[in-house]
Amino acid sequence: MPNIRLAVHLATAALVALPLALAPARAETSLTVAIKRDRYSVADDNFTFTTRRPAAQIVETAVRPDANFLPSPLLFETWDYADGAYTITLRQGVTFSDGTPFDADSAIAALRLYDQGKSDFLQIDQDSFVRLGDHAIGFRSEKGSALVIENMTHRATSLFGPSDDRAANPVGTGPYLLHSYDPKQQLTVVRNPDYWGDAPSVDRLTFRFIGDDNARLMALQNGEIDVIGEVTPQMLLSMPQDGSVVLHESRPIRYVALMTNIHGEAPFDILQDRQVREALAWAVDRETLASVLYAGHGVPAKGVLPGWMFNLGDDHTDGFGFDPAKAGEMLDAAGWTMGGNGVREKDGRKLGLRLVAAYPNVSTVKPMPEMLEQMFAAVGVEIDLVEVDDSGVYGSTYLDTGEADLFLEFASNNNTDPTYLLNNIFTTGTPWGGYRFFAPGPHVDALLSQAREAQTRDAVIDLVRRAHRAIVQDDLVAIPILMVPNFALSRPGIEVPMSEYEDWIDYGRVTFAQ
Amino acid sequence: MLRFFLIRLAAAIPPLLGMSFVAFAIVALAPGDPVMMELRAMGIVPEPEDIAALQAQFGLDKPFLPRYFDWLMRAVRFDFGTSVATGRSVMSEIAIHLPATLALAVSALVGAVVISLALGAFAVAGNRVTGVGLRGLTILLVSVPSFWLALLLIHVFVLNLGWTRLVGDGSLPDLVLPALTLSLGAGAGLGRVVYERVRAEKSEDHVRLAIAKGLDPLRIMLTHIAPRILGPLATAWANTFGALLGGAVIVESIFGWPGLGQLILQAIAQRDFPVIQAYLVFMGLIFFATSLIADIIVILADPQLRRRLGHE
Repeated sequence: MPNIRLAVHLATAALVALPLALAPARAETSLTVAIKRDRYSVADDNFTFTTRRPAAQIVETAVRPDANFLPSPLLFETWDYADGAYTITLRQGVTFSDGTPFDADSAIAALRLYDQGKSDFLQIDQDSFVRLGDHAIGFRSEKGSALVIENMTHRATSLFGPSDDRAANPVGTGPYLLHSYDPKQQLTVVRNPDYWGDAPSVDRLTFRFIGDDNARLMALQNGEIDVIGEVTPQMLLSMPQDGSVVLHESRPIRYVALMTNIHGEAPFDILQDRQVREALAWAVDRETLASVLYAGHGVPAKGVLPGWMFNLGDDHTDGFGFDPAKAGEMLDAAGWTMGGNGVREKDGRKLGLRLVAAYPNVSTVKPMPEMLEQMFAAVGVEIDLVEVDDSGVYGSTYLDTGEADLFLEFASNNNTDPTYLLNNIFTTGTPWGGYRFFAPGPHVDALLSQAREAQTRDAVIDLVRRAHRAIVQDDLVAIPILMVPNFALSRPGIEVPMSEYEDWIDYGRVTFAQ
Repeated sequence: MLRFFLIRLAAAIPPLLGMSFVAFAIVALAPGDPVMMELRAMGIVPEPEDIAALQAQFGLDKPFLPRYFDWLMRAVRFDFGTSVATGRSVMSEIAIHLPATLALAVSALVGAVVISLALGAFAVAGNRVTGVGLRGLTILLVSVPSFWLALLLIHVFVLNLGWTRLVGDGSLPDLVLPALTLSLGAGAGLGRVVYERVRAEKSEDHVRLAIAKGLDPLRIMLTHIAPRILGPLATAWANTFGALLGGAVIVESIFGWPGLGQLILQAIAQRDFPVIQAYLVFMGLIFFATSLIADIIVILADPQLRRRLGHE
């Protein structure tokens, strides 16, 4: 009898242990990502918490950008557009983290919630929502725009489920759930076990806010963090070359360009002459700049939009090589003859230009301003170099007043709307004030206006190509210099799925080497 | 004593008002429009009415002086509005970050006092060679910028020795390196003060008499010299505390310490006017409070002053 009891106990123990033995042994994976600053807002009308880089893991957008920055399905499965009206088929089998199904009703509620914020660049007519089925909706664009879906690739348009307090309890459909948030310190998300899509490879993601560049790099070397998500050029310069830090890069996305003031008043009126602008373009040695800056990962630019983006292609602009002799000839032809002190003159006026470096700050382009100063001096142009490390000073003191000739900018078209950058920077009606000094004029205004109203994507892209060529080639209001990738740094053994969009780097899907 | 305290408080009102005006003015007149910067950072294409609404929301549509008085009326009630960047109330932001900064500054002050007393005592007790060596060390520590010292300490204690981590979570062990960074320079500066005051007191008649009577040097230091130098040292500590609060901005940034330094750096970059103004006011109030405490210590440490205030 005792033997039977023992056998029963052993059998019971074996049955209990069986599932544990069969379960695959899997340690929790975690990843700590250092980013520069906590830039999240919890205000209802400016809600960037959980929707902006890189913590945009909790809520998802309707569509996501594909490799060419074209919208591809995410929560919206298909969409049709005609005459300002959109018809959408929603993805089925998706639930918000609180269990609410993602269907026509919750999708419309989420889109309406989005419209309460300040960032209403979707411009959906709020009275136009119609429920076409359990998983089908329709709406109209306020402006008759064909680009509403393109703009939905922006993380700020992420769709929230119902919640009394989005900051404390953000309800989304994303692969992660908010675990904790210590402002200015760190934010942690954990894997959503009920996520509708493929499970991410990382169970726990922690984003540490570390403002100092050197500290971020040293923390990586010390094994306290795994990845640096926002990499500055200075970090590339001081990156150890012993293999302890691995560089990851996207395709080139950010442009470095010299914006030229073509509407300035004296003494900032010299660049109204296109010949002088073109001479400057030929005087820039892009290959040398590319080899010195951004750890040699930048490439000479032919425009401010990369050719791969939106399938724009590379052949609609010609670009400029490095030809100081040609630059000199063009300046001669423009009447600027070499003076005795190596600076060109015309009618007793020196060829002196004020160059303001840079947007967003001079640290992002160092030492390019000094190198450009030397290159321009070599063709007889004297540069009054103004370096500012604050975008507020750059904007208010120089850009808005037009009190400079050249403005060095390091930026990108951070939107999948193909007209976004060109329309905001190079039109006379620019919403950004000072950029009116770079606007070529009515012909570019018309091209971009037509592009924003065009009803097919092909028509949009064709008009954008023409406007882009006018800006960087024919009218030459922006002298392209470099195209620079988006960078991340990691410890060895981690592969980061890079994206040109900082917001779209999928840290939950990094791969770990065995 | 109470009368002194009240007079001191009343005397603080004009400078505090002046400080509030300067805090408001330098922020309001600084280049950079927070509304446009916020809109551009958000990638928004603003319509003129959006810009006007935002400017009205932040009170930027009013002339300078009415804006100042509106702000002042709210500031005296510690209502500094809402952070443009985070959407939280400014007082919430201050409440989140002030404790960490105070912990850092107080720790650094304690460290600086200990270092200064040790350096001062060694310098007084040592011979000429020791004095020259300590003077050199003092000059070195005072001259080294805090950010460089921070990086040096990180290199030695974090990267080479591995004794501590670089980016902690605000817990006590994480306080050691940033506090040490701040206290080394401050302690060296205070050490010089200690040395000079002790030297000066040692030449006073009552100390020379005590030495002549053959009293124990430690007793002379504690009973004859220390009470006399406590007042001047308290004033120096109060000034140092203010300097430590200012110096903490850079050190907090390097060590990722979640204090006011991180808050203010980001607020400046984003032109978060309400936060910057509140920060400046709070710093002024802390300076005022520490100098008041120093004054009280001076009075308590000086029997003559105590008697005089008692008679009044």
